[in-house]
Amino acid sequence: MDPAGVFATSFERDQALVRTRGQWVALLLLLIAMIALPHVLGPRLVAISTNMLIMAVVVIGLQINMGYAGQINLGQAAFMGVGAYATGALAIKFNLPFWLSIPLGGCAAALFGFIFGLSAVRIKGFYLALTTIAAQTLFHFLILNLPQSWFGGSNGLTLQPAQIFGFSFVSDTSIYYLCLAVTAAMVFGAYGIVRSRHGRAFVAVNDDDVASGLMGINVVRTKATAFLIGAFYAGIGGALWAYYVRFVAVDQFTLFHSIWFIAMVIVGGLGSITGALIGVFVIKAIQESFVTLGPSIVAQFPGLGGDVVFALMNVFLGGIIAAFLIFEPRGLMHRWNIMKRSYRLWPFPY
Amino acid sequence: MAFGGVVALDKVSISVGADELLAVIGPNGAGKTSLMNCLSGFYRPQQGEVRFNGAVISSMGVHNIVRAGLARTFQGTHIFSNMTVIENIMVGRHIHMKSSIPSAFLYFGACRREEMRHREVVEEIIELLEIESIRHQPVGSLGYGLRKRVDLGRALAQEPSILLMDEPMAGMNTEEKEDLARFILDVREARRIPVVLVEHDMGVVMDLADRIVVLDFGRKIAEGTPREIQENPAVLKAYLGEGNR
Repeated sequence: MDPAGVFATSFERDQALVRTRGQWVALLLLLIAMIALPHVLGPRLVAISTNMLIMAVVVIGLQINMGYAGQINLGQAAFMGVGAYATGALAIKFNLPFWLSIPLGGCAAALFGFIFGLSAVRIKGFYLALTTIAAQTLFHFLILNLPQSWFGGSNGLTLQPAQIFGFSFVSDTSIYYLCLAVTAAMVFGAYGIVRSRHGRAFVAVNDDDVASGLMGINVVRTKATAFLIGAFYAGIGGALWAYYVRFVAVDQFTLFHSIWFIAMVIVGGLGSITGALIGVFVIKAIQESFVTLGPSIVAQFPGLGGDVVFALMNVFLGGIIAAFLIFEPRGLMHRWNIMKRSYRLWPFPY
Repeated sequence: MAFGGVVALDKVSISVGADELLAVIGPNGAGKTSLMNCLSGFYRPQQGEVRFNGAVISSMGVHNIVRAGLARTFQGTHIFSNMTVIENIMVGRHIHMKSSIPSAFLYFGACRREEMRHREVVEEIIELLEIESIRHQPVGSLGYGLRKRVDLGRALAQEPSILLMDEPMAGMNTEEKEDLARFILDVREARRIPVVLVEHDMGVVMDLADRIVVLDFGRKIAEGTPREIQENPAVLKAYLGEGNR
């Protein structure tokens, strides 16, 4: 709901995402902060930020697939991996420039995801989750067993830096800006998709597939499309990853990563693009602070040993997810909306 | 139409003319909802066919039947409770919208223009159904009567050439029934489309219907105007049993 005194005077205004002057200012400040970030923060924080940007793309894809269309997907990391490998292979073998290989990587992942989308047509919920784990296994199996000349097998792929007009994205700062630009575009697109008739069809199929059939929505095609878009986003994220790390290997895209992506969606809040971004930030920040704090904890309590501390990190993060599922299953975004609403209605209860 | 040994609909033949309000009544288990499900494509009749404007629709998929111009409201609520009222009715516009995924990705431009065009249609329906004040509320938070109204709005947004309503008044209080009856009449006046109504509330049926079909145990036992039905001995027998008069 809008704060008092803000009235939409046209349909365009009524469905706008940025509704008040305060929100415009906040958005602008965020953009300025993102652009200034590599000049202010140290190299390690820039690396973490780049990581977050890449994950944001992947998690938004998962959000569309899982949060909007309700198709549980435990194979998002595999889709990301397909994108990374496809981009890597295209860049190495055919010398494609990055502005071509990144979208093509997305398309390759989308195709791979679409296959699993077709299975989502017949199965739901828990069984679908199991089926998408097959994506993970299949991805591993294919990469390791296809001829080594295709995708490098167990050796992985090593890429040249992305280049345009003689400028190559070697430094951390330049790759950060590349990721920022791509992520910004993908976030913008995601807001468009979920506000369009496609986004509504996703939510409709999630809510009630009988009724959505009666609305003229092709339920089968909608579910498959959700997988297609989700996997496309994962592929774009994977492609960025390939150009960022410049080395692609299977163990960068495991089931474990997929579960983390789901954790980000849940913590941020199902069914909200902004929630996905918040989830990525929160989970990644906690993860990284553990990595930073871990050694000093070990130094303080040498009796614990490094293994225990890092095992505890996973226990703690797992606990956070469990706590969210129990106490706040609709995520931080939902809590934020409740707070915003009560603040705007104050001093009235409703 | 039979489920195993249970014959839900047996040689039922009904037709509805243009701009007619046809009510289907019958005791519990008479096959009214089965009839609705056959008409809207959820069930495939083993024998016979459903024709709509000359085309056989009983072999088409549900979403294609909708595209052919048939809309339906549900017994109980099959409404998208996580969406707002506007979004729900906008889903009804789905079949009339064309924007592709790439254009939705860009959003500004063609996709937004299309959204706004359809939003205008939706606002007209909201006005007709008098739900302006709740347009931004999630449907899950609304009361039963309002949900049914949104359900009707969603069906109207499809601009159907025929509207099926499955027990729209079930579980409503008198006031809500009167409201909905008024909206049904408004809709008929505004759209001039045939309406098929399945209903238990005899008061509503007798007041609204042009013609009534009575089902009992899957068979059509009577057909006629409300007055004829009230005096039809077969109908009285089905509802009240013999010897009670």
